[in-house]
Amino acid sequence: MAGLELLSDQGYRLDGRKSTELRKIQARMGVFDQADGSAYLEQGRTIALAVVYGPHDVRGSRAKIQHDRAVINCQYSMATFSTAERKRRPHGDRKSTEMSLHLKETFEAAILTHLYPRSQIDIYVKILQSDGGNYSACVNAATLAVIDAGIPMRDYVCACTVGFVDDTPLADMNHAEESGGGTNLALALLPRGGQIALLQMDARLHQDHLDTLMEAAMTACKGVSKVLDEVVRQHLQETVILTGE
Amino acid sequence: MATVQISEAEKLYVVHGVRDDLRVDGRGCEDYRHTEIETDVVSNTDGSAKVTLGHTNVLVGIKAEIGKPKPMLPDEGYLEFFVDCSANATPEFEGRGGEGLGIELSNTLYKVFSNKQSVDLKSLCISPGEHCWVLYVDVLLLQCDGNLFDAISVAIKAALFNTKIPKVRIAEEEDGGKEIELSDDPYDCVRVNVENVPCIVTLCKIGHRHVVDATLQEKACSVASLLISVTHKGLVTCVRKLGGGSLDPESIFEMTETGKRVGKALHAPLMELLQKEESLGSKRQKVGFLG
Amino acid sequence: MLKYKTFVKKTRSGGILKVVREHYLRDDIWCGSEVCVECKDETPVLEKDPCMESNLCTFPHYLIPDTNVVLHQIDVLEDRLIRNVIILQTVLQEVRHRSAPVYKRIKDAIHTKEKNFYTFTNEHHRETFIEREPGESANDRNDRAIRVAVQWYSKHIPDSANIKVVLLTNDRLNKEKAEQAGLIAYKCEEYIKSLIANPELIDQLALTSDDKNEITSSKILFPEHLPLSQIQAGIKSGKYIQGTFRANRDNYLEGNVFVQGEGDESTEILLQGLQQLNRAVHQDVVAVELLPRKDWVAPSAVVLQDDGPKAEDDEQEEEEEKKLQMKQVAQQALKPTGRVVGIIKRNWRPYCGMLSVSLIKQATRHLFTPADRRIPKIRIETRRADSLAGQRIMVAIDGWPKNSRYPNGHFMKSLGSAGDRETETEVLLLEHDVPHLPFSQNVLSFLPKMPWTITDDVMKNRVDLRHLCVCSVDPPGCTDIDDALHCRDLENGNLEVGVHIADVSHFIRPGNALDQEAANRGTTVYLCGMRIDMVPELLSSNLCSLRSDVERLAFSCIWEMNHNAEILNTRFTKSVINSKASLTYAEAQMRIDDTSMNDDITKSLRGLNKLAKILKAGRIEKGALTLSSPEVRFHMDSETHDPIDLQTKQLMETNSMVEEFMLLANISVAQKIYDEFSECALLRKHPSPPSSNYDILHKAAKAKNLVIHTESAKELADSLNDAEIDGFPYFNTLLRILTTRCMMQAVYFCSGLDSDFRHYGLATPIYTHFTSPIRRYSDIIVHRLLAVAIGADSTYPTLMDKHKQAALCNNLNYRHKMAQYAQRSSVAFHTQLFFKNRGILNEEGFILFVRKNAIIILIPKFGLEGTVFFENKNKPSPKMVFNEEIPTLTVEGHTFNMFDCVRVTISLDASNIQHQKIRMALLEPVIPGVSVPPPDSEPEAKKMKLDR
Repeated sequence: MAGLELLSDQGYRLDGRKSTELRKIQARMGVFDQADGSAYLEQGRTIALAVVYGPHDVRGSRAKIQHDRAVINCQYSMATFSTAERKRRPHGDRKSTEMSLHLKETFEAAILTHLYPRSQIDIYVKILQSDGGNYSACVNAATLAVIDAGIPMRDYVCACTVGFVDDTPLADMNHAEESGGGTNLALALLPRGGQIALLQMDARLHQDHLDTLMEAAMTACKGVSKVLDEVVRQHLQETVILTGE
Repeated sequence: MATVQISEAEKLYVVHGVRDDLRVDGRGCEDYRHTEIETDVVSNTDGSAKVTLGHTNVLVGIKAEIGKPKPMLPDEGYLEFFVDCSANATPEFEGRGGEGLGIELSNTLYKVFSNKQSVDLKSLCISPGEHCWVLYVDVLLLQCDGNLFDAISVAIKAALFNTKIPKVRIAEEEDGGKEIELSDDPYDCVRVNVENVPCIVTLCKIGHRHVVDATLQEKACSVASLLISVTHKGLVTCVRKLGGGSLDPESIFEMTETGKRVGKALHAPLMELLQKEESLGSKRQKVGFLG
Repeated sequence: MLKYKTFVKKTRSGGILKVVREHYLRDDIWCGSEVCVECKDETPVLEKDPCMESNLCTFPHYLIPDTNVVLHQIDVLEDRLIRNVIILQTVLQEVRHRSAPVYKRIKDAIHTKEKNFYTFTNEHHRETFIEREPGESANDRNDRAIRVAVQWYSKHIPDSANIKVVLLTNDRLNKEKAEQAGLIAYKCEEYIKSLIANPELIDQLALTSDDKNEITSSKILFPEHLPLSQIQAGIKSGKYIQGTFRANRDNYLEGNVFVQGEGDESTEILLQGLQQLNRAVHQDVVAVELLPRKDWVAPSAVVLQDDGPKAEDDEQEEEEEKKLQMKQVAQQALKPTGRVVGIIKRNWRPYCGMLSVSLIKQATRHLFTPADRRIPKIRIETRRADSLAGQRIMVAIDGWPKNSRYPNGHFMKSLGSAGDRETETEVLLLEHDVPHLPFSQNVLSFLPKMPWTITDDVMKNRVDLRHLCVCSVDPPGCTDIDDALHCRDLENGNLEVGVHIADVSHFIRPGNALDQEAANRGTTVYLCGMRIDMVPELLSSNLCSLRSDVERLAFSCIWEMNHNAEILNTRFTKSVINSKASLTYAEAQMRIDDTSMNDDITKSLRGLNKLAKILKAGRIEKGALTLSSPEVRFHMDSETHDPIDLQTKQLMETNSMVEEFMLLANISVAQKIYDEFSECALLRKHPSPPSSNYDILHKAAKAKNLVIHTESAKELADSLNDAEIDGFPYFNTLLRILTTRCMMQAVYFCSGLDSDFRHYGLATPIYTHFTSPIRRYSDIIVHRLLAVAIGADSTYPTLMDKHKQAALCNNLNYRHKMAQYAQRSSVAFHTQLFFKNRGILNEEGFILFVRKNAIIILIPKFGLEGTVFFENKNKPSPKMVFNEEIPTLTVEGHTFNMFDCVRVTISLDASNIQHQKIRMALLEPVIPGVSVPPPDSEPEAKKMKLDR
């Protein structure tokens, strides 16, 4: 039997969502005490843990120092048990290196780096469980961690992947949908200004469809931003209550 | 943080406190910090556990894969250990920074756990000489505040307890060929007997006394420490001296005695906790990192 | 957006990998009934007054079938009578998993509005989702899920509506449990039998396992089939061999297993006797075990037909089997022999054939004889044997238990009286696997809405060519006009030639049901007096057909040429055209020839004709072959559609004019798409035949003192041109017909998976099909590729997947082959109709081939080919000497050579109503005891009862 039916005639996806619906997102900020900022985020079954250190002095080579802004340092890694098939090592492979670079670019676009010249901000993200949309989960978790660290940003950075099946964009694809082949567009958005921090697309897609797909991705990202905003507000409220005592 | 800087005055304060059985955070010498354990936190694994010991935070995931038994031990399965000192724990671990510590930890874990006294390795054999279960025990350090070994050992024991290995059957063909058949029922699985799985107790020599569950700060005041792995019967399976300083035989003996006592006492509440959690089944509200 | 979702995790162990998937449950899945007030369904599917009159269910009700009912009784569910059915998602998923054809059929039923089938997504409904419990098998869980859904419906539909839901299941346990839970459940048979409106539906029921036991004797006739796991292990270890079973057409006790070896190699294993065949049916994929060498046998040359119930006493059969084995002789004739140990995949399809009515009056069990002799007789149960006798019917096999001599099946439908034109056409379509059912609602829903106009949106990426003087030239009566042409002078003295092809890919979008249907059909099939369209008529005969004086979308290939027909510039573009005239070949020819006509169309035609002649000469210079086959065309009676006259097709200059430009367009496009997509261009190749294929041609020519060179296409073409015999004008045609038989089949392929692209017959290094997208699916793909190449359309993943494309090519090649066979069968049938009432004819013919015991004759007048046998079952054979070298056959002193002119009688042999055939007998030369007297005196020809 050929593959899975990603979108049924009734308009339901494999897991029962409709095409525009996101997976359930749950998150918590400030999960660790030692780090300057940290956040935990579940996007469906994809789990990401983000930790932020800094801003602090630039470590290692002094050549890295930027005189007008902070250096953003990112490392993406995956727990060896995060995937269905065990990974041999958590990071250092091509894919993680690429992902680290994407994260760096995304957050350089979002963090107000000029406020911290000659310093460094470390963002470490770990995927504890991988079920599709690893990049977006990382970005969303890292956003919360950066906020937790009190580092000013232009806006939330919200990311979401969108696929394209039967001429219909599918928001926030899970692993089964991603492995079904076809187009996969990852978008990181600064929702208020509608600015795009990162755009990446695999597989071929005709230009005519790009608009539809981008539109769907932006809508999805705005949905994510709503959830993140709620998490931040909730966290603030809790902190206020705790410190208020 | 993997290490802390400490001043002479602070050191003195810590040492004097220990001498009077009153540690910086108010504990006695044989007291553990506040500990939280939760199993089944990563559904992609066959067994997992998360342990918080003070600020030390570790996550253990176990994946069972079918492999070939080692030639010397054809009727036994085996365990593989990997410790990921992630940059999440401290920026020092970024890149390959954590590799050294990771190897040290995993080698010790291998010695402590992968032997037939600790785990019934024979039960992991599927067909002698051909197929066996390999349990990949992956440890992820999320936050370090001393006493990594104890936290990891508790997490491993809990994760092993939680491990569900799918049941397989060897279908014998009439011409002698063998085929592995997987049970169709997802509830049909084998559990690992964790009764004899030891826990590690690390004792830190501070001044003339020794403490269990040392924080990073306390560790900085100690010259050397002793690692002891103890089963629920109080059987010592492994002893190792750690750290740069030296220990005299007498204090090693004393420390072993303390370790045995503390270690033995550790098992009962742990098992009780695990069984209670297990009995809740799918009704249990998972907390994970969200709590 | 997220608030009404609870979420439950479902763990599924697949392999050793632990696969966990999320499973969201929803509150917004509606029940789909018109009576429901709670659900906010805008267009409910299930009617508020469902009306299926049944003795058992006297109240209005909806049906919910379980998986097995859908899988096995799809024939019944498809009946017009069965309406208002709820198909649960659980059922649909299981069906999809277990049978792709049934899945497609049930989906078609769901899409048919009049059937009121509703799909209820129960697995994602908060109240009907259930989790598998410990110790519960997957099947039990699904049965429970079905019951839970039925229960939910019973509660959900308001009592005031007085509508009940009825579960149909053949599983006893499931039924019991459902009844315990207070649900209404019936076995499928019970329910169908209770239907008042159509008692005949019962016959379409498939036999369920309970019933089978009654039918068959308890005696076990066949060895048990091995379970699949054991077979697979056996194949891995080399103990068993996997292959496709091919039954022997002439001997029901014999068959071959065709084993595909490495690469192109393949071997065959002989099977002999019922036990060794062990219930394999033609085309099944089976596992065989080789017998020890001492048990090997030689294929028998005996013709054995299963005579049905009379042979049911086993002793007689055993005797026949013994007789078979007695025949074995020389050691070298022995073939690897084996026995079937298990069936890997059944390839059963519905079979056409006729009922052999049981001799016992009032019996309900009868044997069915399929038209295809390779298929065994099938036992079916029907109460209508009397009315079905003499009819062509369709039967499906349900199973073949080991204690039954014949497979059990069920009646599906009647096609009509045997011998009827419509019935026989239906039979030949079915037997050649030509999809010919009316297009489903789902497919039709993707057609453009009428009235259709060209909007600005459509004009994007399109050139307006409406001003050009374009015309089409086709055979008379053609309504699916694929192509149109134009030719005009350019200011620089050169000529502009355009080939405009219907832009079908504009209307058929990739992946939708319409596209899938067309891809499956692959080609339009032309039969005598009938056309089975690949795309719905609205497209084939209207929107895509480039008729005159209407605006039509086209895909144009435009060349700039000089007067020597050399291409200076090629341009491809999507366009809009307005054809100025739809001409027939004859009309176009007339215009060209009539010097008094000088309008734009005629000038354009003349220009085209002139260029075409140059192009053709150039092509022939390169070695393109002009081959010949005796094509016949029937003159149909416009009232009865019966053939009233028969003639061979005539070719005119304009035929070849159109052909030249189509070839040119195809070649240009092939080059373009290959340049752009070297990995996934769909091309067509014609491999050069292996030299041994030409042996017969060499021999034939030698007999006439001629030499035919076959080293290259060019040499072949030249020597064919030179091969003339004075006073024998038809000789050259005969030679060309013979050459055609030596050729290989041209095939579609994907450029990324092949290295040899050459088209031998056309003598071109690269070729494809671009010019007939209305009737060939290959052309649609080529259109899409070309459209992407010029940036006029978007691509999609399967278009760029060479393996998927190779699979598509396989289907297209298969469909084309089958279409060809169907067409031949159709011609043969019409030839029979034509000869039916003409008694015995006396015609002149030529010997085309000489065989060991027969000669094959071609009658040029009818383009008819027939065989004259010299052997006869009931008479002593004449003395025959066959010389393979020349080849000649000497019968009672008279030597037959190839191409000899003979006279034969032609008549229709209707003795076997399923297999009527044209019979030929020798008149001249007169050979005593062999030839027959002229037909006027005594119709002795009828006595010549020969097989084959």
